Amino acid sequence: MIRIESEAWQAMVRHAESTFPNECCGAMLGVIDGDEKIVRRAVPLENAHPGPQAERYELRPEDLLRADREARQAGMDLIGIFHSHPDCDAYFSETDLKNSCPWYSFVVLSIKGGRFDHANSYLPNADQTAADKEILVY
Amino acid sequence: MPKILIPTPLRQYADKRDSIEVSGGTVGEALDALTMQYPELRRHLFTDEGKLRSFVNVYVSDEDIRYLNKDATPVKDTDTISIVPSIAGGSAGVAAPPAALDKDEILRYSRHLIIPEVGMEGQLKLKQAKVLLIGAGGLGAPLGLYLAAAGVGRIGIVDFDVVDFTNLQRQVIHGTHDVGRKKLDSAADAMLEINPHIQIDKHETALSSENALDILRDYDIVIDGTDNFPTRYLVNDACVLLKKPNVYGSIFRFEGQATIFAYGNGPCYRCLYPEPPPPGLVPSCAEGGVLGILPGTIGLIQATEAVKLLLGIGEPLVGRLLLYDALSMRFRELKLRRNVDCPVCGDHPTITELIDYHQFCGVPRQPEAPPVGMKEGEIDPADVKARIDRGERFVLIDVREPHEYQICKIPFAKLIPLGDLPKRIHELDSADEIVVHCKSGARSAKAADFLRQAGFKKVLNMKGGILAWSDKVDPSVPKY
Repeated sequence: MIRIESEAWQAMVRHAESTFPNECCGAMLGVIDGDEKIVRRAVPLENAHPGPQAERYELRPEDLLRADREARQAGMDLIGIFHSHPDCDAYFSETDLKNSCPWYSFVVLSIKGGRFDHANSYLPNADQTAADKEILVY
Repeated sequence: MPKILIPTPLRQYADKRDSIEVSGGTVGEALDALTMQYPELRRHLFTDEGKLRSFVNVYVSDEDIRYLNKDATPVKDTDTISIVPSIAGGSAGVAAPPAALDKDEILRYSRHLIIPEVGMEGQLKLKQAKVLLIGAGGLGAPLGLYLAAAGVGRIGIVDFDVVDFTNLQRQVIHGTHDVGRKKLDSAADAMLEINPHIQIDKHETALSSENALDILRDYDIVIDGTDNFPTRYLVNDACVLLKKPNVYGSIFRFEGQATIFAYGNGPCYRCLYPEPPPPGLVPSCAEGGVLGILPGTIGLIQATEAVKLLLGIGEPLVGRLLLYDALSMRFRELKLRRNVDCPVCGDHPTITELIDYHQFCGVPRQPEAPPVGMKEGEIDPADVKARIDRGERFVLIDVREPHEYQICKIPFAKLIPLGDLPKRIHELDSADEIVVHCKSGARSAKAADFLRQAGFKKVLNMKGGILAWSDKVDPSVPKY
């Protein structure tokens, strides 16, 4: 289960709404308490996908590395990745799955007409052939 | 030595360390040294063929080794090696089906699949769902049958009881031939007979503060079908702590209640009932009785709410306590709010782990064993019979209710219900020897105390009541 604290959640929604109609992406920093992941800080990152970004995103590993460093400095961990799906539901698409990794929670925010609609969190398996839905609380 | 930073999710395979110093002159050597030291890391970083997994990028002091010398990139003692996944995605492409229905399942669930609100997506959600039933009794019976039929993929049941004849009037998951079997086995058989495509987890235990978190943790939704206050508070607190929705139901005689606790910003059971009632004030179904159909109605309201939560459709029964009265056939709703001062789900909770719920509810952990031997003022049913046979003169008083008297009675017994005793005490003569009895001996003990206080000196309580009479004296007297 992943719980996103209010401030981090608001930052994620703001980022997703402001990049509409393009997809946004970012990192989630926080702590892991037993089976519960708690997101304390959201770090908006640049969508580095080279083509149209309405239905694609790409994270620069360097950016992720920076986010990881920021987390370590703050006594936290990089525990998840978020991105948005403009004008469609928060499913985990084939593209999401194939370009994911099994190490993090993947939170997808559905933004419809520029406003946040709903969100889901996914845990991809090691071979990126399937993703389990994770309980998401925000 | 160069240092390798370990990403959070991999630290569990590296003694929980966040960085590890390894020897090696190149990236390849350093990674080999790392995975030699922590072999479990290997399969997370490398494929079976020994290549770095597609999503794994390796950086030496902020430079991607793909743009340097790859594996052969030299590393200095002061270098930091980072492992960074490459991540991308997007809504483009079809949603990956998390599981699939086979041909048999598609046929079986066809009436779900053609409802737009359920459809294939919803049915797959049900298939992937994990629901825990606390109790395989009155509420658990309809819940188990219908959730199994609906295709909830994994259903856990917590129960340690055995089916007996008094269960059959309402616990429709068990049949007459199941009497004496474990309820878990009987329920699982019935559910798998309806739907062999599901998995059933049997938890043969009494839910306790020690095991509750471990048992509940695996499930998406918990459904409370318990009949006692300690377990109800335990389930509530565990659900709040684990943030699992608690689909609640309770029944008594002709009335029932249902709601969802611990979901979203809604209330929990303690917001509604901060304190348990004094022990003994609220009778259980065993003591007070229950219309056999009632748990069907309430259990299926719980099942409906559980399925709605799993599908993510409709308006959940959160913040509303649904009250059902079978006699007037009316539903009412009470609005419930989360109590910001609630000790478990409030803004500043004081209960942050499970407590001793038997102590909290003022009830003993185990039902007290009946004391062995006769206490002062008690008489064994066999002695009562012997006195009757010897023609001894005494008065036998049955202090049960008239509807119980209609079920069974002991010849010669005079019916004076406990509640009527004060106003009918003049019917008794304190010169007579008096024996009082009830169903199992508890109410008649109160009657005996009352009579003694009223000045009756020769009062005896028949130990074990009419149930013991049936066991020891006359098996033709039915037990209830």
